Amino acid sequence: MRLLTLLLLPIAASAQVTPSAIAGSPNSVWLTYNGDYAATRHSPLAQITPGNVRSLVTQWVFRLPGAKQLEASPIVYDGLMYITNTNEMYALDVQSGREVWHFRAEGAQGSRVNRGLAILGDRVYFVTADCHLLALHRRTGNLLYDVEYASFAKGYTTSMAPLAIGTGILVGVAGGGSGQRGFVAAIHPETGKEVWRFWTVPAKGEPGSETWGNFPAEMGGAPTWTTGSFDPELNTIYWPTGNPWPDFYGGRRPGDNLYSDSVVALDATTGKRKWHFQFTPHDVWDWDANENLVLLNATFRGKLRKLLVQANRNGFYYILDRVTGEFLHAKPFITKLDWTTGLDDKGRPNVVASKIPTPAGTKVCPSVRGASNWMSPSYNPVTGLFYVVTLEQCDIIVASAKEPVPASGFRGTGNEGIPAEPGKFYLRALDVLSGEKKWEYPMPGPARMWAGTVSTAGGVIFAGDDDGNLVALDAHSGKDLWHFSMGRNIFASPITYMVKGRQYVSIAAESDVFTFGLFDGNRVN
Amino acid sequence: MRGLSILLWSAVSLFAQRSSLPADPASIAAGGEIYRGSCSGCHGAAGEGSQGPSLLSGRVGRLSDQTLFNSIRNGLPGTSMPEFPLPTESVWRIAAFVRFLSAPAVQANAAGDASRGESLFFGQAKCSGCHMILGRGGHPGPDLSNIGALRTLRQLRESVLTPSARVEPGYRTVRASLADGRILQGVARNYNNYSMQILDSQGQLYLLSRDAVKEFELSDDSLMPPLANPGDLTDLIAFLARQTTRTGSP
Repeated sequence: MRLLTLLLLPIAASAQVTPSAIAGSPNSVWLTYNGDYAATRHSPLAQITPGNVRSLVTQWVFRLPGAKQLEASPIVYDGLMYITNTNEMYALDVQSGREVWHFRAEGAQGSRVNRGLAILGDRVYFVTADCHLLALHRRTGNLLYDVEYASFAKGYTTSMAPLAIGTGILVGVAGGGSGQRGFVAAIHPETGKEVWRFWTVPAKGEPGSETWGNFPAEMGGAPTWTTGSFDPELNTIYWPTGNPWPDFYGGRRPGDNLYSDSVVALDATTGKRKWHFQFTPHDVWDWDANENLVLLNATFRGKLRKLLVQANRNGFYYILDRVTGEFLHAKPFITKLDWTTGLDDKGRPNVVASKIPTPAGTKVCPSVRGASNWMSPSYNPVTGLFYVVTLEQCDIIVASAKEPVPASGFRGTGNEGIPAEPGKFYLRALDVLSGEKKWEYPMPGPARMWAGTVSTAGGVIFAGDDDGNLVALDAHSGKDLWHFSMGRNIFASPITYMVKGRQYVSIAAESDVFTFGLFDGNRVN
Repeated sequence: MRGLSILLWSAVSLFAQRSSLPADPASIAAGGEIYRGSCSGCHGAAGEGSQGPSLLSGRVGRLSDQTLFNSIRNGLPGTSMPEFPLPTESVWRIAAFVRFLSAPAVQANAAGDASRGESLFFGQAKCSGCHMILGRGGHPGPDLSNIGALRTLRQLRESVLTPSARVEPGYRTVRASLADGRILQGVARNYNNYSMQILDSQGQLYLLSRDAVKEFELSDDSLMPPLANPGDLTDLIAFLARQTTRTGSP
């Protein structure tokens, strides 16, 4: 009997996930946090259209016991959906929503949320809140390695989804609010050994260190708490960095504070910096640049260019040349923006002096949460539109010159909302080459959510809204086509994939993963 | 009883830093005597739980020493846990024994030759044919990479000596006849009236609609064979007890 078993082909195919397969994602599968290395979150799937999206129905719901605020984007491959919560991962039968395996990192410290995983070969990878990278066998959840890449005892934590690029599993850290020195590291997929590390705050004497005065690099922040992008042709990774520390008081760190609030372009093989661009020099508003970096090729001002675009937390939509780092264009994508009179021809902002936070408190727009944040935008090359969730809100920011102590909870004081001016979310479609708004979808709600988007070739945009709905909008017009109330807040971004000829959409909401597909009267499982 | 004595001596270091608990084996053994007379009726002889909850869970493990003491001395109002107005020293001894019951094997400094146990695991005892430790070994048994942090010494011994006594959820053996005539054997990672997920000995996963399964048979008998040489037990446990991926876990 055993011989017979050996001769059977598994119903779940067993092909290894290659870097080229990841580069081809998304198609029927979804193989990175953002679906693709370019972070467009655009799927070529076109089964669900504006004409039939009203036939979407729930296929299954899976509850992760104990989960409170799922922020992960799942990965889907080979019949399985993988999703993470704090210090744990589940593999689900993607057609039935049934658990196949569950791995909990017993003994892991810290309780930060987790935003997802990476897949390569026969392995899936995720980080625990105490900065360990774990490799698991993708079909069984068996542990293959568990390596610490930053010290929880020294204050490091993390929440990001790793990125697998073949030569390394790329990981980052949080710490912009607690005074750790940020870095991106590549860890060998098979051995768990560190291949290279790029510090986002240069050591004394290194280029860029002159932008910190005498402030210790070890406390500089510039964390790397979201997932970067990758251009295989240029062999370059693009990683966004967060704020310098202390967040709201810059008196002890005179200068631009490189490479905080920046995009750094790194050689994927060595981790050496190729170029950088800083969106918010000498940040005192906590405007991390950790928003997704979207890569696209397009004719810009008459020249075919490899572009990188980002809707930054500081309120500007940026277009850069991703080969050179040259600043090409920027335009505000929110209306409540008062901290700068504009950018110069190098993209450097002219800061309004009265918007520097003071001990008495300073009203600043956008708010500390930013004009956008880590919630994923998407880009549809057919419509030429960039779909981004935006927040119109201002804050009162209070600064303090108190001596900073890392990992003490001190951030240079903080921010508070303005009760008479509640924030409001909008999903906005921007012309990708100008940043001009083409349409918007207002979102009534408490301004609490962190939900992102996914774009499809079917001409439908899926997004979470601020009232707990998964919504489907017409990609061209923004017309509201369909919605489903999940009865809970959404802090994650949707994905789409195809199994056995059927397109599905999945999204996590608080403790559950919801999956939708077009109604099929013959479906039995 | 001899096995218990070995375990008690191994546990001395575990309690060395718990100032409010007695750390010496004699006190723990004395606590065990009281436990067997007053506690085991509800919580089981080895703390596994019966009418009362298991004392081996992480929830009990996370209680402070003082909270554990108070729970024994004063009972838990609103539950069936009564008060035990024993002398203070006796209550602390019970608490020390409860800690001993639930201590992860990795903290117990298990006796035996762990190096020989490793050779047995990956060789003569054939454990690695079905189990994996950090990627070494086979399918479809449970991964043992962190087993020293997840099980007590007593549980490890039970798993090796009587593997069918407690089969992990997701590891029941299954033989399924498919509608297309194929036959699958492995473990049922999950199943219900609508789908079934089977992992076979090659590590292949079969995700099945129940429409595709003509009939199936589940068994609570573990696939694990008895240890060929019982004399190998101590060394094998010594090896397994040291399998942890994180110091101090869980």
